[in-house]
Amino acid sequence: MAVLDQLIELTANGVVYSSIIVLGSIGLSLIYSIAGFANFAHGDTMTVGAYATLVIFGIIGGTSISILGLPLGFFLALLSGIAVTAIVALVTERVVYKPLDIGPIGLLITSIGVAFVYRALIQIQFSADSRRYDIDRLRPIDWLLQYNIRVTEHDIAIVASSIVLVAGLHLLLQHTDLGRKMRATADNPSLARASGIRVRRIELWTWIIGAGLAGAGGAFLGLFNQLVPRMGFNLLLVIFAAVILGGIGSVYGAMLGGLLIGMVVELTPILTSIGIPIGSQYARALAFIIMVAVLLVRPQGIAGEAVGGGS
Amino acid sequence: MSTITDPRGYWGELTGEERGVAGFLIAAVLVLLGLMLTGVLDPTYFLFLFGLGGMFGLMSLGLNAQWGYTGLINFSVAAFFGLGAYGAAIMTASNSPIAGDMNPIFGLLLGLVLTAIVAVAIGIPTLRLRADYLAIASLGLAEVVRLVILNEGQWTAGSQGLRGIPQFFEGWPVLSTLPETLPQVNIEMIPGRVVTLGLPFWRQLLNVSLVLAFMVVAYLVLRRAHRSPWGRVLRTIRADEDLAKALGKNTYFFKMQSFVLGCLVMALAGVFFAHLQLFVNPGNLDPTNTFYVWVAVILGGAGSNRGALFGGFVVVAIREGPRFIDQLPPAFLTEFPPEFLRNLEFITGDILFELPSIAISPGPLQLLLVGLLIIGIMRFRPQGVLPPQRELIWPDAVDEGVRQGPDSGVREQRGGESDE
Repeated sequence: MAVLDQLIELTANGVVYSSIIVLGSIGLSLIYSIAGFANFAHGDTMTVGAYATLVIFGIIGGTSISILGLPLGFFLALLSGIAVTAIVALVTERVVYKPLDIGPIGLLITSIGVAFVYRALIQIQFSADSRRYDIDRLRPIDWLLQYNIRVTEHDIAIVASSIVLVAGLHLLLQHTDLGRKMRATADNPSLARASGIRVRRIELWTWIIGAGLAGAGGAFLGLFNQLVPRMGFNLLLVIFAAVILGGIGSVYGAMLGGLLIGMVVELTPILTSIGIPIGSQYARALAFIIMVAVLLVRPQGIAGEAVGGGS
Repeated sequence: MSTITDPRGYWGELTGEERGVAGFLIAAVLVLLGLMLTGVLDPTYFLFLFGLGGMFGLMSLGLNAQWGYTGLINFSVAAFFGLGAYGAAIMTASNSPIAGDMNPIFGLLLGLVLTAIVAVAIGIPTLRLRADYLAIASLGLAEVVRLVILNEGQWTAGSQGLRGIPQFFEGWPVLSTLPETLPQVNIEMIPGRVVTLGLPFWRQLLNVSLVLAFMVVAYLVLRRAHRSPWGRVLRTIRADEDLAKALGKNTYFFKMQSFVLGCLVMALAGVFFAHLQLFVNPGNLDPTNTFYVWVAVILGGAGSNRGALFGGFVVVAIREGPRFIDQLPPAFLTEFPPEFLRNLEFITGDILFELPSIAISPGPLQLLLVGLLIIGIMRFRPQGVLPPQRELIWPDAVDEGVRQGPDSGVREQRGGESDE
């Protein structure tokens, strides 16, 4: 039963990790579907969110009230961090991407420059050393330990907040005017424009939502691990793997892909236990190989219909 | 040749961009010479930097053969560079778990063979993919290569890296001992400041001649290939792959050839690096290096070999420049007599005290500069500073009579031939 126990334990961790990946991949997919390019700065956008939350939390400080082991001040900082990330992305879009007159490949290359600038500025300000939020690390929740589940209240907070954000996005996309316009624009920009949708405004909203979710994902990643300037860049490829697995450009695919890739990465140790000699050091490699395989066999992803055409 | 016989005419033939780059290069060479002769810049260190420049130039030549010729977005440059370096190191390093202490020629061979095999293995799945998917997939597979090198310690010694790599020419008949036999030279341009060229200098000079040899060979081969019918097929693929297919070309096969060719040139850079640094570790496969090479190619102008070389050297200037800002002011200032310094302090007020604030670690500053450079190029000059122009035209194809005319022939061709 050792394998089963391990499976339960890793699955629990996988859910936490996946919820962070999901937040990152939704934004990447949204921006791909509307702005039309693979945004290599998305990982570093997550880093921006993490450090923005760190700074704001440092200013607000902890409050006496706390939910799931996190002071109320952290949630306020998280919301402000999301806002800061969205603003940073908006400014970048206006200053860098908008004036460009080049195709999606040019935008892709430009986004690498943007990623470097984000990372360099963060590293200049905060140095390359790792940091933590000023919150006590928690022990795993006791009564869950008997089922071999080692999660802290913070982990539960991460998963719960991610579910709230994802559910909120779902409601927004399906039941609001903005959401319908966003879906229409992603589907067919020219038709959307012809139908009187202000496509430019939708683009900006997409950046706000995508970057905001990335910021939240970054803040949670900082809580889950720690904050280093490379954290987002290191996660970028895993997020790409998730987005491609789900079908690039599809929001619901990104959710599913994020969940699956997060699980694959966290469940890799189980392979050794059942006799396949692939150690956890190759967890990421496995995710990338799945990504390439999906690109070859089913480029539209598991959830995609015919989005394969991209832009 | 016309450079020597008719410099003025040669200058007149250059385009504005070429004049700008040539002027920039002449200025850079003069500044560097000045710094060296006055002893501010150690000549041996300069040669080391020049070697790095040649190494980046090689990598950008390789990438140019993929992205510039064929339009392949290869984000696995660092992996192939690393394979070249590890191929060389596994054969020659003193702590190599497999072979070790062999003649560097075998290292060169292993590096190239390894690279060719991995290039084909990565190319088979990814070269069918659309451009942006190829970018993501190649970056992912490069990471797989890095993870393998990091974790398969029984072949690569893992994270501790391979050390004790000899100079490339060790074991060669004359060249291995040549630096020892050369005399020590003292140059005294400014009284009291002797610049000594000793054994380290000659060793480094030998290294630089190696990278120059690699560069010249790669440059000539690639230029020849680019102008050949094969190169024209690649250019067609870049411009319109469907058209190339319609013309009956097996584009997948051509893309594979261009991919492997480029990767081999990157591996050459890796082999050179192993014998320059005498030490390799998995950190050399950092994907950030891939993007530095990309900056070099984009800066130079996609499809332009000269541009790729130029870009390679500029990137090294950016990478190493911040280190200088870090070190130069203190070293430089201590050369002046104290009373002068005091005056300087008086004149410049608190500027002197602000100097340490530049001393952020070189890492982020170079990252910032490279990031801004990428954004700047894409915004203001997406075709790069030296976009390919007449070098794509076979020299014989230009009518000599027309060449004399001021406003026709070559000049007209220049405008129309750029790729993007």
